[in-house]
Amino acid sequence: MSEQSGLEERSRTLFQDSVGNIDMRVRSRLTQARHAALEAASVSRRPWLLRASIWTPAAGVTAAAVLGVALWFGSPLGHHAMTASDNPTAFEDLDIVASSDDGSGDAMDMLQDDVDFYDWANKAGNPEPAA
Amino acid sequence: MVWDTPAPAREGAVLDQTRELEKFLAEVERRAFRMAQIALRDPDDALDVVQDAMLKLARNYSAKPSAEWRPLFYRILENGIRDLQRRRSVRKRFMVWLPGAKEDPDNEAQDPIDNVADGGPDAPELLMQSQAMEQLETSLRALPARQREAFMLRNFEGLDVAETAKAMGCSEGSVKTHYSRAVHSLREQLSEVWQ
Repeated sequence: MSEQSGLEERSRTLFQDSVGNIDMRVRSRLTQARHAALEAASVSRRPWLLRASIWTPAAGVTAAAVLGVALWFGSPLGHHAMTASDNPTAFEDLDIVASSDDGSGDAMDMLQDDVDFYDWANKAGNPEPAA
Repeated sequence: MVWDTPAPAREGAVLDQTRELEKFLAEVERRAFRMAQIALRDPDDALDVVQDAMLKLARNYSAKPSAEWRPLFYRILENGIRDLQRRRSVRKRFMVWLPGAKEDPDNEAQDPIDNVADGGPDAPELLMQSQAMEQLETSLRALPARQREAFMLRNFEGLDVAETAKAMGCSEGSVKTHYSRAVHSLREQLSEVWQ
């Protein structure tokens, strides 16, 4: 046997021995890595339509869109702006409160001025029985 | 055409391929780890590189014929080792400029306790083996990267010249040259200590 092949053989034997002496921690991690690789291989073999990686972003976008629509219709912004044709009475009430004859703009003053009138009207409508 | 294959037959083929891939990975993983460890000196880095190589092979090349897996796997592994060594050398250059920077793990002194024999029945023989392996590892690390790759792939992994060329991404002639130079250097370094 030549010196060169002796060197190759000895180094190969030493290497194989060192492979046999790998500790349990490393062996266990290598086994875990192998299983992870096999899982990756099975995922890569699935038809692309069935891969979670394809559907996850699409599902996320859909969920966000649904949530957005729900929030939009649930909020006041989702209802269209109120117009005079929707509820005319409300706008008339608003006009009465906002305006006044004396131009003060304070509707409560106007109501206090007419207290005597309302008192008389009440009495006229419900006359007291004769004693 | 793929669509004409009945579904059970396709599933059976996929199962066979998965089993074959598992068998292949189980067969190479420990040797790949030791080769990465010799090149990188750090077991955790070696584990990371091997794990990465397994994942890349499984993801990208598992559909290829199994005969092509070995050179592909070692090509991915050697690329990973080279990338890590390059990152380390950049980090090392950068760390020199930082005050109080830690020494590179490559240069850290080994714990003397690690080298003490455990006193088992074959302790002297184990010690001799361990010392011889240590010398071999030191000599392999002293080789240029391409020579070390050629030697480990041809001699430790048993790849032929064509497979080694594929794994190293070079011509068969280059593999022969690298291998021959590696053996010559190792003989020079180890002939005295292995007497």
